[in-house]
Amino acid sequence: MWVIVISLFAAISLLLTVILTPLMGKVGGRLGLTGIDIHKDWRPIIPKTGGLAVIASVSISLLISSQIIGEQVIHLVFILPMLIAGLVGVVEDALGEISPKVKPLLLVLAALPILLLEAYVPRPILPFIGGTRLSRVYPLMVLAAYPVVGNAANSMDILNGSMALTSLPFFAMASTIFLLRGDITLLSITLVIMSSLLGFLIYNKYPARIFSGNSGSLAVGALMATVAIVGRIEVAAIIALLPHILNEMHVIFSMGGLRSAKSLRDRPVEIDNGFITASTRKTAPITLLRMLSSNVRITEKQAVAALTAVSIYTSLLALITQILFIGM
Amino acid sequence: MSLSRNILTVMALLTIVWASLLAVMFIMAFTIFPALEQTGGALILNILRVSLGLLIFAIWVYAWYKLTRLWLYRILLNMKHT
Repeated sequence: MWVIVISLFAAISLLLTVILTPLMGKVGGRLGLTGIDIHKDWRPIIPKTGGLAVIASVSISLLISSQIIGEQVIHLVFILPMLIAGLVGVVEDALGEISPKVKPLLLVLAALPILLLEAYVPRPILPFIGGTRLSRVYPLMVLAAYPVVGNAANSMDILNGSMALTSLPFFAMASTIFLLRGDITLLSITLVIMSSLLGFLIYNKYPARIFSGNSGSLAVGALMATVAIVGRIEVAAIIALLPHILNEMHVIFSMGGLRSAKSLRDRPVEIDNGFITASTRKTAPITLLRMLSSNVRITEKQAVAALTAVSIYTSLLALITQILFIGM
Repeated sequence: MSLSRNILTVMALLTIVWASLLAVMFIMAFTIFPALEQTGGALILNILRVSLGLLIFAIWVYAWYKLTRLWLYRILLNMKHT
């Protein structure tokens, strides 16, 4: 019975995203919320409001799910951080880049619902160590999780389809753990998120007709952080997100702190006739795309496939870690 | 160097990072954690436990960064001096 119910929520989420994404594209075009697709020779102008369709679809689907499954608090804990992070993204999409020093502080707000509703267990289970008691420190880690994961998801939103395709393995990994654990509520929520991302991908895959915008990538990052905390899969989440963290952290290290990407002297990759190749300059930041395009000229589609392959791989490592070293 | 080789090389780096994370936790599980658990639940020891954990995590992150630099310039870009 629950298989049918969960499938229904996932189908609603997929259908809503498929319907809402082109509508949001039209709204974005009319409001001038657009961006240039810099990886194409013809430099098309694309609306960057696709994330709003994902946010709306996931919110509506989870609200329906909460009325049928129950567990309103858990559903709310997923919806509210996503809305707050999405709002930060909307501000950035509409008004321009927020200072890299202020943005993390705004994203911390996304952690407040989970803390205020006490929807966390401050005893993360670590491999070999087992359950730990981090009563005082864990809330601080929750506060830090949203800016870190939000920006990490944002840093993967660089090519057509890359944000959705590198996020889907994470949610698939989480769904598998919840399925093995028999946690129907969390399984239902992660499948709703995955369905929405799949629906969005129809329009965002190469050649993209819509971008997710910062609203979409920050909202998806907030959902990832919530899945890790509420689902108590913190270590597995870190492992699955190694490519995202590598991408975000090494850029910060390379730039010597939190600075705007626009202030970079050298770009991590060079684009020539639609082909991407890594910069050989030592002053260019280290990114995952730069590593994957080292000494080779690749198309955007190949680059996205490579980023996806790496994300699938680390999600499998996360699953192995959870099953072998942590337990369900 | 082909794209497939780059993907495999990056996967190899991430495997090392993953294995080193597990190794760090394994060492902590049999050294720091039991030593501090035996000394009772005093606040100062709890702070010490968390501080040590964070310090080790920071060292792991820094080591990961240095390894990635080496991986990019020496292996992927095949540059002689890093």
